[in-house]
Amino acid sequence: MEIELRLSGGITVVGIRGSVDGLTADDLMRTLSARVSEGAVRLVADCSALDYTSSAGLRSLLGAVKLARQHGGDLRLAAIQPPVLRVLDLSGFTGILKYYPDVEAAVVSFAEPA
Amino acid sequence: MNSSHRHQRGVAVVIGSGSVKCAAALGLVNVLNRAGIAIDMLVGCSAGCLYATMLASGRTTAEAAEMTKQLWTSTITDQHNRRAWLKAAFPRLFGFDARFGLRDDRLVMERLNAAFGDSRIEAMGTPLFLTATDFANGNQAVFSSGRAVDAIRASIAVPFLFSPWPIDGHLYIDGYMSDPLPVGVAMREGAEVIVAMGFDSPYQEHISNAGRFAFQVSAILSNNLLKSQFAFHGLAHHAEIIPIIPEFKQRIRMFDTEKIPYIIEEGERAAEAQLPYLSRLLDAQAAVAASGTA
Repeated sequence: MEIELRLSGGITVVGIRGSVDGLTADDLMRTLSARVSEGAVRLVADCSALDYTSSAGLRSLLGAVKLARQHGGDLRLAAIQPPVLRVLDLSGFTGILKYYPDVEAAVVSFAEPA
Repeated sequence: MNSSHRHQRGVAVVIGSGSVKCAAALGLVNVLNRAGIAIDMLVGCSAGCLYATMLASGRTTAEAAEMTKQLWTSTITDQHNRRAWLKAAFPRLFGFDARFGLRDDRLVMERLNAAFGDSRIEAMGTPLFLTATDFANGNQAVFSSGRAVDAIRASIAVPFLFSPWPIDGHLYIDGYMSDPLPVGVAMREGAEVIVAMGFDSPYQEHISNAGRFAFQVSAILSNNLLKSQFAFHGLAHHAEIIPIIPEFKQRIRMFDTEKIPYIIEEGERAAEAQLPYLSRLLDAQAAVAASGTA
């Protein structure tokens, strides 16, 4: 898994490439937690190159969402590919996470009234 | 490194409910076999019990596919249970009771007995756990011993269709009513890596009779239960649950056994997609175990 961070309109965009799983989930959680601790509480996960997530990956995503929300922000997902979306849907995550067709829509969503 | 002895530890395979679609598990097992990944335990629910039992008893995937064609045909639901219809219409007169099922189950029992005889769950080559649902309280029941035929019959007791099945003084109905993909059983039994093959219940294209209406209601409940249970177990488990959800482009009906080759193929395809990660995970676990014993 590779993680790439960038800023877009004041929102931290976290590009995730590869697989979030039992071998990589801790890295993702550490990266996201560090950003939230630094005050970057509004995050978008760019999932366009994320090709797999296991239960460990789901746990790290949920942990990051909870952390961001506890600090007044949110982690929103963008461009989720169909295989990953199926796992998120099966796990009920699509009911508790906000997700958007692309990064731009996810970034803009933070400007909209809650 | 030779894949046949690469992995120190195996995986638990959980086969969820899904009628003939459960044959996709044979595709999953083909993929695991080719990769040299051992199966440490099998858990089955509803029709998944058939495949879990066939595999645990040492049958090859080809044998299991062939057995399905003998076992699982639409003729098993052809015979109406006339007394049940009378009981439904005149409950007091005909003595309605909990053993209600609109179809005669003699043929399905005949076939299960022919296939598995008196095989016992505890005597299988691979540890086997079959789930059903306690009809008295809705609790999940897990059978790890006893006659396999009884546990399978209990687990495929689709409400209204087949009557609840008695085991040791309790009545049991279809396993999907408590958990359509019982990964929790594998967790409880100590599995670290769980490969879970589950299936959505299909929704009806047309609701043209009471039976289809009932199946639609059942599918809605079952699919929502699948999601909620899977979400809970995914978050509760400390290790890994690897969901393998075959994507069927063709509609698969309950008794479409002629589609078994296609179903197995889709099972293989879905499993192949997860194999690279599964192999890396098992290799990493083996390395940790080796460093601990070095």
